Amino acid sequence: MRYVNSIILLALSLIALNVQAVTVIVHPSNANALDKKSFQKIFLGKSKKFPDGSQVVPIDLTGGDARSKFLDSVIGKSESQLKAYWSKLIFTGKGQAPRSVDTEAEVVKLVSQNPNLIGYISDGAVDDTVKVAAKF
Amino acid sequence: MKKLQLCTIGLSLLYIPQSFADITFNGFASIRATQANSDGGGVPFGSFDEGEISFKGESLFALQASADLTEGLTATIQLYADGSNDFDVEARWAYISYELADNHSISAGRLVNPTFHQSEYQKVGYAHNFSRLPIAVYQDFPFSTVEGIALNSQFELVDGDYSLETKLLYGSWNGDIYLDGVGNVDLGLKDILSVNATLSGDWWKIFSGAFITEMKADSVDANSYIPAIQPGIQAALSLGATQSDVTNFTNAVAWDKKDGLYWFAGFGVDYEDWLIDFEYTNYGVQDSVDAPNENWYLAVGRRFDSYVVTIHTEESKQPDDYGFLNGINHPVLQATGKGLQGAISTSEFEGYGISLRYDFHPSAALKVDYSAGEHQLTNIGDYQIMSIGVDLVF
Repeated sequence: MRYVNSIILLALSLIALNVQAVTVIVHPSNANALDKKSFQKIFLGKSKKFPDGSQVVPIDLTGGDARSKFLDSVIGKSESQLKAYWSKLIFTGKGQAPRSVDTEAEVVKLVSQNPNLIGYISDGAVDDTVKVAAKF
Repeated sequence: MKKLQLCTIGLSLLYIPQSFADITFNGFASIRATQANSDGGGVPFGSFDEGEISFKGESLFALQASADLTEGLTATIQLYADGSNDFDVEARWAYISYELADNHSISAGRLVNPTFHQSEYQKVGYAHNFSRLPIAVYQDFPFSTVEGIALNSQFELVDGDYSLETKLLYGSWNGDIYLDGVGNVDLGLKDILSVNATLSGDWWKIFSGAFITEMKADSVDANSYIPAIQPGIQAALSLGATQSDVTNFTNAVAWDKKDGLYWFAGFGVDYEDWLIDFEYTNYGVQDSVDAPNENWYLAVGRRFDSYVVTIHTEESKQPDDYGFLNGINHPVLQATGKGLQGAISTSEFEGYGISLRYDFHPSAALKVDYSAGEHQLTNIGDYQIMSIGVDLVF
């Protein structure tokens, strides 16, 4: 019975891990309507402005589940594919990858202080200092 | 007085802010062991040692520093060293860039020459899935960097469904090329005008580009082509050719002050982990003994999580083109021109290969490859190249 419980617990954990959403956050004053394609373009350096014309500055996470989920669900590239993508731009003088921070708390703090920033965090890290732009 | 000056300088240095600008360092490196063999015993391509395992031929290091001077201005320098040049460090790039608008940036200084689609990141092994980009298309041209000015632009089309990237470049290059039996001789490319465009959607891209330049090749002519045609000219003169015939013939053969034209076209697909790439290139010195070089490669790859397997086929040809002899009527001069063209069209080959990429680390890829083919030169003939190495970026 103990084994059955363990297996059920493990299965539930895996399910929980799989359904862990990633949330894209912006400053509370940001009224732009943004979709998946917008996020792709912003985080791949193809868009440098929000639809309202204001400058956009993406903030990446250096690692973690939220980053994995974001790359998988939104960007559609693995870490290696993304690094190869940025290598082509960096070493041809066409761009630099977004600045990265280590913790979701840093993303929340930065985004809450600057209307030009956009970031992503796990669902549980969202608080009322930032606005949810989308969940994936 | 001198002491006072030194004191002043010392104090000034103390008060210089530690950093005027954000400087971002990036780099890339490849460490690769390569073995090349050929039936004829000759070296099939550039920097390999026939019959031996070499770590030098394809190993390289580069460090790039980019200073953000704010207000859209950046300064970039890339220091580069590779084994084929004994790891002598050179400033491969040194340029400043200015963002004219969100989708336009202008750069000036020493820039990479976007000869073909992937030329700009040809040396960044991590950026592609090959151990080396197919040699038929991506040879090592001496003019891989030029001095000039470039405009990079990016446009969104059809509500952002497609994007168009363009690059315009104007510049020049002066250096030397190696001629068999002669050694290094001066060569210059004057008034390089280059246009590149890539149209892409979510999973596909098509691209094309060209550059035209005026050849400064009097040394190449004087050390190579002109001596080579002298016996033919003497024979023609003894068989009734006039000095005017000879002058016209010499002008027809020569490179100097003629247009060099390089162009390419191709497509790429990255769909459901299937990868297809095709590129065709064509180049030569217009209206000269140098017939157009025609090269292409086709690659099909499949991504399996951290692995990518790629197979490719490639071909490099230089078919006869006797158009430069239009107006040359003397049969001996005609034969001499055709003979010279045949003698310099010796780099034809066709080959195939299989490459495995394994992303074993977030910043490093292990690559193993095998390629083989048949070279036109009898001292090469059938050849094989095997390599194992690591490409990394940081």
